Amino acid sequence: MKQNHLTLKIFSLIVLNDLVDTAAQLFMKKGLLHTGIDSVNLSNIAEFAARNASSAFLWLGIFVYALNFFIWIVVLYKVDLSIAMPVGSFSYIFIPIFAILFLHEHVNMVRWIGIICIILGIHFVSQSKKPIMKEEKANQWLR
Amino acid sequence: MVKIVLLVLLAEAVTVIGQILFKKSANSLERYSLRSNGARIRFLSEIFARPSLWLGFFAIVIGLVIWLIALAQGDLSLVFPIGSLQYIMILFLAHIFLGEKIDKMKFIGTFLVVFGIVLITTTH
Repeated sequence: MKQNHLTLKIFSLIVLNDLVDTAAQLFMKKGLLHTGIDSVNLSNIAEFAARNASSAFLWLGIFVYALNFFIWIVVLYKVDLSIAMPVGSFSYIFIPIFAILFLHEHVNMVRWIGIICIILGIHFVSQSKKPIMKEEKANQWLR
Repeated sequence: MVKIVLLVLLAEAVTVIGQILFKKSANSLERYSLRSNGARIRFLSEIFARPSLWLGFFAIVIGLVIWLIALAQGDLSLVFPIGSLQYIMILFLAHIFLGEKIDKMKFIGTFLVVFGIVLITTTH
């Protein structure tokens, strides 16, 4: 019978997935920072794409982003989607912290409270250890 | 404003459908331990042969495009908090389509995560 609850190993994989996601987001953001175009709209979107096509950081971000799929599919193979998704919200915590460290952004009090709420939420979701139910019946929906 | 909200909700719904298709394809595989390289390669070759995986990719790309259209037109402090509703959609849709159980811990935890994301993304 397959496992559906969260083990430490799967939890670590989800955190790794979020760390890699955070790195990808930061690379992409860094790649997009030096384009010199302030706002993107329908008339300059082609120019925007052309200027960014030569950004090494952007391509690195996209590459890392694609690699992350392999971690995610192993996570989904091992654990419920409705557990993996909320636990995967770690990137909402990593991104502000790394944004402070590497992009020198400011994080205010309300945001720190938000970060604490997410940590508590992840803790609650990871306590959910109930086995999958009625899978055969549910499978009829999408077959 | 209403248009942006609807666009974000559409983007989230399509993305959530993509994730459910991913999970559906992962659920349909035989059980590999993933401890040996041989098992990992068989796992990957089997899952990439699943139409539901490719349908999931397609849905996620469409969801991303709709998301970017919403981002281009709406404030981040509107788009991101509404976007966090995808966690609630997942909770209920995974129950309906995948038979995943909703217990008290998962329910409370999911809403706390959404509340936290709303706090982070509505303030400057």
